[in-house]
Amino acid sequence: MASEEASIFLETSIVSFVSNVDIDESSSDKTATQIAERISDKKFKLLDLIVSLRDYLTSQDLNRRKKALCCLSTVLSKLPDDKLLKNEISVVLSFYASKFDDTLMMQETLSGIYSLSGMKFLSMTEVGPILDLLSNKYNPSSHLAATRYFAFKILEKIYQRFSPKLIEDGELADLFVKTFLHVGNGEKDPRNLLLSFHLNELVSSNWNNVEKFKEDLFDILFCYFPITFRPPKDDPYKISNADLKISLRSAISASPAFAEDAFGNLIDKLAASSPSVKNDTLLTVKACIDKFGGEACLKHWLPLWSSLKFEIMHGNDAGYPDSPVSSPTQISEADNYQLSVNVMRSIASALLQFDEKAFDKFLSHIVEEVRPNFTYEKDLKQTCCLLGSIASANQQIFNKVVALVLPLFFKNSPELSKLKLEIMNLSFFFDAYIRVFGEANSEQNEVPPNSLSEQKDEILMVLSKALTASPKVEVTIRTLSIIQFTKLIKMKGFLMREEVALIVQYIYEAILTDNNKNIYYAGLESLKAIGEIHEDIVFEISLKRMLELLPIDPNEGAQLNENEPVDKETILKAILDFTNSRHKLVKESVLGLSKKLCQVAPYADSSEYCFLIISSIHTLLSNNIEMIRENDAGFIKENIEMPLFAAMTNYPSLQKDDHNLTLLSNIIFFLNLKSPRNTHQDELTRYKKYFVDSLQLFVKPSRLVVPFEKLLCGIDKNCEFNEVEHYFAQTMDLLRSEEITEAQFERLGYLELLTIFTNKWMDEQSLSKFINLDDLSPVNLEMLVWIVKGLVMKNSHHAVLFQEKFVNLLSSSEIGNYMAKLFEVFVVDVITFQKYKGISWNNNVKLTYKQKFFNDVFSRLVDAFKNTSEMDVKSNYLTALSLVSKHISSNLIEPYMNEMLPLLLQSLDMPNSEVKVSALNTLLDTCEKFHQLITEHVQTLSRSLLKLVSPVSYNSVSVRVLALRMLETLTHVVPLNHLLPFKEDIIDGLLPVLDDKKRIVRKQCVGTRQAYFELGQVPFE
Amino acid sequence: MSEFINETPTVLEDNQLPTRGEDTDGNLLLGTDVTKESLHRTKLLLKIDNSLQSPVLQNVELLTKLLQLNQAPELTTDESDEDTDDMADELGVPADPIDPQEIYDLIAHISDPEHPLTLGQLAVVNLKDIEVHDEGYKDRMAEVIVKITPTITHCSLATLIGLGIRVRLERALPARFRITIFVKEGSHQSENQVNKQLNDKERVAAACENDQLLGVISKMLSTCK
Repeated sequence: MASEEASIFLETSIVSFVSNVDIDESSSDKTATQIAERISDKKFKLLDLIVSLRDYLTSQDLNRRKKALCCLSTVLSKLPDDKLLKNEISVVLSFYASKFDDTLMMQETLSGIYSLSGMKFLSMTEVGPILDLLSNKYNPSSHLAATRYFAFKILEKIYQRFSPKLIEDGELADLFVKTFLHVGNGEKDPRNLLLSFHLNELVSSNWNNVEKFKEDLFDILFCYFPITFRPPKDDPYKISNADLKISLRSAISASPAFAEDAFGNLIDKLAASSPSVKNDTLLTVKACIDKFGGEACLKHWLPLWSSLKFEIMHGNDAGYPDSPVSSPTQISEADNYQLSVNVMRSIASALLQFDEKAFDKFLSHIVEEVRPNFTYEKDLKQTCCLLGSIASANQQIFNKVVALVLPLFFKNSPELSKLKLEIMNLSFFFDAYIRVFGEANSEQNEVPPNSLSEQKDEILMVLSKALTASPKVEVTIRTLSIIQFTKLIKMKGFLMREEVALIVQYIYEAILTDNNKNIYYAGLESLKAIGEIHEDIVFEISLKRMLELLPIDPNEGAQLNENEPVDKETILKAILDFTNSRHKLVKESVLGLSKKLCQVAPYADSSEYCFLIISSIHTLLSNNIEMIRENDAGFIKENIEMPLFAAMTNYPSLQKDDHNLTLLSNIIFFLNLKSPRNTHQDELTRYKKYFVDSLQLFVKPSRLVVPFEKLLCGIDKNCEFNEVEHYFAQTMDLLRSEEITEAQFERLGYLELLTIFTNKWMDEQSLSKFINLDDLSPVNLEMLVWIVKGLVMKNSHHAVLFQEKFVNLLSSSEIGNYMAKLFEVFVVDVITFQKYKGISWNNNVKLTYKQKFFNDVFSRLVDAFKNTSEMDVKSNYLTALSLVSKHISSNLIEPYMNEMLPLLLQSLDMPNSEVKVSALNTLLDTCEKFHQLITEHVQTLSRSLLKLVSPVSYNSVSVRVLALRMLETLTHVVPLNHLLPFKEDIIDGLLPVLDDKKRIVRKQCVGTRQAYFELGQVPFE
Repeated sequence: MSEFINETPTVLEDNQLPTRGEDTDGNLLLGTDVTKESLHRTKLLLKIDNSLQSPVLQNVELLTKLLQLNQAPELTTDESDEDTDDMADELGVPADPIDPQEIYDLIAHISDPEHPLTLGQLAVVNLKDIEVHDEGYKDRMAEVIVKITPTITHCSLATLIGLGIRVRLERALPARFRITIFVKEGSHQSENQVNKQLNDKERVAAACENDQLLGVISKMLSTCK
């Protein structure tokens, strides 16, 4: 007997539990835990608890009895599973057994038994009685879902613990299954169903007594098929429709014993019209085939095929494999089509695994049935999709199918439409091949011999006929042929190198000679794809030949195969397009084009052709600059730099042409930028020797200063540059000299040289020696501006002092106008002064320098603007400001917008089209975000804009178009009630613009007017 | 689909409509520092790299700008600068006349009132059925004649389509243009009646005062580009 203390504890605990249960779960739970702890600490025994509960348990009041039993069951659930001894369990079990008659307490009873069935010392002998109780004294239909839940849990527990022993015993296993069938009968609750399906799957896949019960076990599953469940809101169990579907599916497909019933019933369901039911059915059929194996399929493939046939041959087609797939979330007819085809594939592989003869019979049956389709060319696509899908099961099947089917192709029909179909239908087998043997890669490409390879020549014949022998207008078939050729190349181990080369040549010719866009892009994509596998072949066959094809004499055209003329532009465009981002190809193109350039340049009238070649090289380098590696750049440089220097020194087509010389210099800059840093010092010495000593750049103005200064931009800034001050002074002298005043190009080169010297090598302190702030001659000002640009770019604090000076100069009546224009120089982006990713050592360029400059200058300019009343001077400030802001991204300007807007509005009236363009661009970029501000000024703005649309002085085409665009933007930005008053004026004001000389202006004007006509108009729905 | 009276019209894809095919030219003119030489170079460039963002193109523009910028101030007073600019406009690049393609572009994208397609796609308006008589002088009258082809000969909406085209053209063409719209010979049962209605000024004016009708037109015009 328990001690005094213990029984008092028990009494109070029980009272506390009973009063809290159903009201405060957590507190009753805590009480139960405490009791359980004491029992496991052996403070008292479980029996003591039952004794203390006796009064409650025998009470007349159902509620009291129920709560008491609940107390006991809860305590049991909290007990560690090794605390009760065998005989204790037995006693408690028989106690619960006696409670079975009290059906209203079933939930507590079952929960108690559930806890007991998990106890370690539960004896095997107790299992039979428990199962008996469940099947005889428990009637699932008269209890709630929560109660039924425990019945399933008990069975699950017993299965987990005693499965082998039960099956050994035999009779007990039968009893278990019977009990399960009884318990699971008529279940509707999703949580319980999940358990029921799971138990069913366990039993039917693991026990050998299934045969006896297979029909009942199957019925208890299939009565739910196809299951649908929409979870209620706040579902505590988070069970989804998919959980149930998947669980049911895997239970149905659990045992081959179900095959007879499953296939029969599922075939019936296949006739369903709802796509989602059909989808579920098809997935289940497939699961069954995969699980049941060939033996079951042998009996059932014929009826399955009969019922799938319609779906496959006449259902909504899945499209050809290359067409884009529809959204994956929604089940569509097309999905079901694909699934049906996949079912056939599963049958094929199951049959072959079971018995090759059976498979052969299956295959020949199907092929015989679809053979007429080939003869009459009916439903061929569906047929080929089906056969292709079966073929993709495995290698053996692939070979069998292809050997049977492919001879049905290749009719050599002269009709193009039939050839097209033939190619499209062949593509299913190419896909199957890739599925079976894998995709080609650049390393290992061995595959076992197969039946498609035997037909390779025929396939190549058909495709090349489609591409090369069909007329150029047949775009579809030619494009198709290119796509399928590419697929052939992607098929692992299918083609020999020579065959790939032949295909590349076909595509190469198609790209160059066909001016249809689709074929061009298909060809390019194809070359890119092939390049990933066979880069060398693409290089040899297409790139190298393209380079060779480019003529040397600028007056000659290129000819392909001696009769087809090809534009130089087309070749260059193709080179640019398909080499993009292929590292080796880029390198080779740059090399090849540079060599070509050196050959072309000596011709007298070659500057235009040179320009095209140079632009191509430039584009290749600037687009791929991040990808070019150090050793590549070094290699290219070594091979082409000196020839290019020589060419630009000797030939006028390069030297005398502004664009060519600048772009070529940029090209050399890029190569230097990417070449190894440790070579830079030597290179610098070499360059100085070539340009300074041989070409005498600092003695006489020379156009070749441009390549020199661009080269310096790419040199490591830590290199020693001897006597920099000497050269700096010489440069300034040259710029002041007479002979350079007319030579704009040279001047620009020397000015940029000043910027680089200042930015990289000049000591900031000693700069003052060279700077004369009192000399207001344009030459001096210009030099100052470019020098200061070098400082501005590195955010030097010296720059700020100069800025003040420059802003003051704007107020000068003589040079203010000129000065204003020079302000743009500070922030203009010269490609060689830009920052490149991963390179920090070429120039001292800070990322934020423009922002800082704008920040510094803005308030100065605005203040000066406000403090002057002279219109000319005001105009200078506005010009300077708008030229600067043109190069600043609009989100950096936003913080200044409030102050800026009035200035922008005034800029619109300035007599300078460039200022107007800049102001309009800034307005267009920012007005969305500042609609309120714009709205306040809408009257002024609309009036100014209307003045800008007529073709008078300073209203260039761009001004007119931008003004019209701005007017149109107002309709989106300004609230209707603010804009309506101006509607008529604007519509009328734009009338003359409809007769503008430039079409682009008229077009924009029509759009703008239409926007105003629509203002306030409600479209009829 | 049965709500359509004409269920199977031949439909052209949007990209199959006739176009001028040199759209980029217009955009190029928007660069601020256009000289004849750089324009020529830019055109060359676009043949090999069809992108307005290409670094080479930016370089060409930049060079032109910087070379102009550095000219000594005496030479670059705004006056002379503008003069050359205007010359380029008036002499270098000739004016673009209003031609049938321009008219076609204006009206081909109007939506059909009963199909979710445009008049161009349904071949209701065709490039070859547009005539423009314009001598290019701003002070002389000019004329546009558009012949529309209803999709079926008893099309009850031919007049509405005609009205839509008329409203569009009146809004988009200078006042000196007279606009005449016919249905194409033999394409409508009551050709004469429809033609009369289409060109009756009073009727058109009256129609434009009907708010509901304007709403319908507004919806038709909403797809215009």
